[in-house]
Amino acid sequence: MSAVAAIARRPRTSLTLWIGLALVGIHVAVALLSLVWTPYDPTGMTGGRLAPPSWAHWAGTDRLGRDFFTQIMIGSRIALIVGTSAVAVGALIGVTLGMLAAFATRLLDDALAATLDILIAFPTLLIAMLVVAASDTASLGTAVLALGIALSAIVARLTRILAKRVLLMDYITAARTSGTSWLGIVFQHVLPNIWPTLSVNFALQFGLAVIAEASLSYLGLGAPPPNASWGRLLQEAQGTVYTAPIGAIAPGIALLSLVIGVNLLADGLRDIADPTRRVSR
Amino acid sequence: MSLISVDRVSFGYSRDRLVLNEVSVEIRAGASIGLVGESGSGKTTLLRLLLGLTRPDSGQIRFDGAALETRNGSFMRDYRRQVQAVFQDPYSSLDPRQNVLGIVSEPLRSLRIAGDRRAMVEAALVSVGLEPGILGRYPHEFSGGQRQRIAIARAIVARPRLLLADEAVSALDLSTRIRIVELLKQLAADMTLVFVSHDLGVVAALCDEMVILEKGRIVEAGATRRILADPQHQYTRKLLGSVPRMPA
Amino acid sequence: MSLLTIDGLNLTIDGKPLVSNLSLSIGPGERLGLIGESGSGKSLTAMAATGLLPRAILPSGSVTLGGQQVIGAPDRVLDALRATVAAFVFQEPLTALDPLLRVGRQVAEPLQRRARRDGRALAGAALNREVLALLEQVALPQPERIARSYPHEISGGQRQRVAIAMALACRPQLLIADEPTTALDVTTQAEILKLIDGLVRERGMALLFISHDLPVVAEIVERVVVMRKGVAVEAGPVREVFGAPRHDYTRSLVAAAKAFDAALEGTP
Repeated sequence: MSAVAAIARRPRTSLTLWIGLALVGIHVAVALLSLVWTPYDPTGMTGGRLAPPSWAHWAGTDRLGRDFFTQIMIGSRIALIVGTSAVAVGALIGVTLGMLAAFATRLLDDALAATLDILIAFPTLLIAMLVVAASDTASLGTAVLALGIALSAIVARLTRILAKRVLLMDYITAARTSGTSWLGIVFQHVLPNIWPTLSVNFALQFGLAVIAEASLSYLGLGAPPPNASWGRLLQEAQGTVYTAPIGAIAPGIALLSLVIGVNLLADGLRDIADPTRRVSR
Repeated sequence: MSLISVDRVSFGYSRDRLVLNEVSVEIRAGASIGLVGESGSGKTTLLRLLLGLTRPDSGQIRFDGAALETRNGSFMRDYRRQVQAVFQDPYSSLDPRQNVLGIVSEPLRSLRIAGDRRAMVEAALVSVGLEPGILGRYPHEFSGGQRQRIAIARAIVARPRLLLADEAVSALDLSTRIRIVELLKQLAADMTLVFVSHDLGVVAALCDEMVILEKGRIVEAGATRRILADPQHQYTRKLLGSVPRMPA
Repeated sequence: MSLLTIDGLNLTIDGKPLVSNLSLSIGPGERLGLIGESGSGKSLTAMAATGLLPRAILPSGSVTLGGQQVIGAPDRVLDALRATVAAFVFQEPLTALDPLLRVGRQVAEPLQRRARRDGRALAGAALNREVLALLEQVALPQPERIARSYPHEISGGQRQRVAIAMALACRPQLLIADEPTTALDVTTQAEILKLIDGLVRERGMALLFISHDLPVVAEIVERVVVMRKGVAVEAGPVREVFGAPRHDYTRSLVAAAKAFDAALEGTP
């Protein structure tokens, strides 16, 4: 039977890692570039309204005549900031809560689990809107915080289930009899063993966060102007999708390539971080 | 004087069904003692109590004359330094994400034992019959027997006085099993060994004394030789009669 | 004619050999023990014998079960073979039973399948009677209560008896038991061995008993094949192989088993 298991564990090529790295790398490079240079002034009217793609305007212009490619470049900055920070906030809160629940006494664990289930039943966006509404002004910071809190319930539940499974293993008992403290068990054994699954989940949530930010922006609760997020671009393109489809396609491709890139990167990183997937000497 | 004395210890998950019922055992320093029982005998619970992972409902466990205080951090650190354990399943008792150095040095790190940890780990590996050069390798690269040797190295690296083994050879193949039994026997020369098992053959090969448990009670205890030659309790006789033997 | 004949069986995965050039045969009513440690290929051999191999494992050579070639046979043919000729009992009775179905229902299924094959309907009180009769044959106490229980409500030994009952329901000519007592307590093991021994004798079934445990195998079979890393290193009657092993590997196994026996006799 062990032979069957060995097949399933065959180390994959690092191709996923390289493609993921390339896609994410391009986005990071473009975002950095946009800090010092963009083809046009993002707010300047530089051409005709809703111009189709041309050599002068690679992705055409919007209905105010602003260069669309410039907007997308700036948008990648926001997407990366929002995605990374929202996932970081969600991970910090979620992993902490999930770990507490996994280690807690039965009663506290049940209470936490029930709370999380209720939170997860709420749409992510609704929670985010409530958080933004509770703070006075809408800013990039509140959007990030709101999305992070909304995502944390899912992270917490996943962490709790994964951690509980690890806590049943003999190596945890061995750690306890070796004198390792609970905190030591969390950082030396539980986190390293649940990290691969969590990180894949974080990559998915990165995509969710970027898309959710778009929705928040549309509602006026996201990044305020002049931060041209991809979400805002998508929403603005809604009215002109038949006459100037590039307005929806371009930010769509940008969003898709970033989300796919992050997912592939997470998969690839998980594979090289897992000693059992490495080829043994 | 006894190294460990278990004094009328009872434990139960509910009041009417006791897992352990007024169990008393004296373990002399230097002894090798087998706790023998089938599923439901309470042998694993007794081991958890001895490891300080669970507290008895009533009764007392004393180590070197001092009552076990599982809630006293500094007491337990000292206790863990002197009492270490080996578990049944070598596939789940080693963290798959730590290398051999990380695994074997865990007690040294956690108990804050000073000294050259790497050298101590290498010495422990050598004394369980492994190459010291395997420090950087991971559990999945080893066979079941080798993994159990790594687990034993972790248990002896802090030089404990008492080694508790929970079915430590049951998951191993026969030819590996006999070699691990020999290793434990050799280690038992320098420390006290408590070996929990359902396997009478292994206990007979390894332990000078044994305690037979049935449904949370001790039915018979004494020198291994005496019990094998002249079992007093009916359950002991049944257990002995059930062990399959090789054809003559 | 023999019931199961394996001739020059090779099993490979990704071109790597798992079992190499293995041959054995079991005639009606014969008992053969397949001895090996983990990774020896003994369980894979049993799966190959009944066409239960995972797809990634490629068989070659010949396996005939009840006169039918198994290698390359379509699932329809194999299903029929497994229902009539050979039945399996596995190591872990808890995973072999469906946790969500009462024991009675699970035993009823193969009984009904057999009845359909014989061209008769079996349901209601008649089915119930047969289920209870079968549970009684595997010496389960209070068969009515057991039939109403879920697998987790009965002991490990009782579960293994239920699994044996299910295997018997198809009236197989060959019982394949893969480490059927390894997960059990030693006193329960003795009872289950006695049960299998009695059933095989009464029903004239052939037995393929797979185990790593030499004394257990010695108690229940007549002939053994010793496997190591996919190769049969020694074969012959139990007394010869265990009494005077010829291969070094067999010798080391026998020596280890005898060492534990000697310890029990108080003569280490």
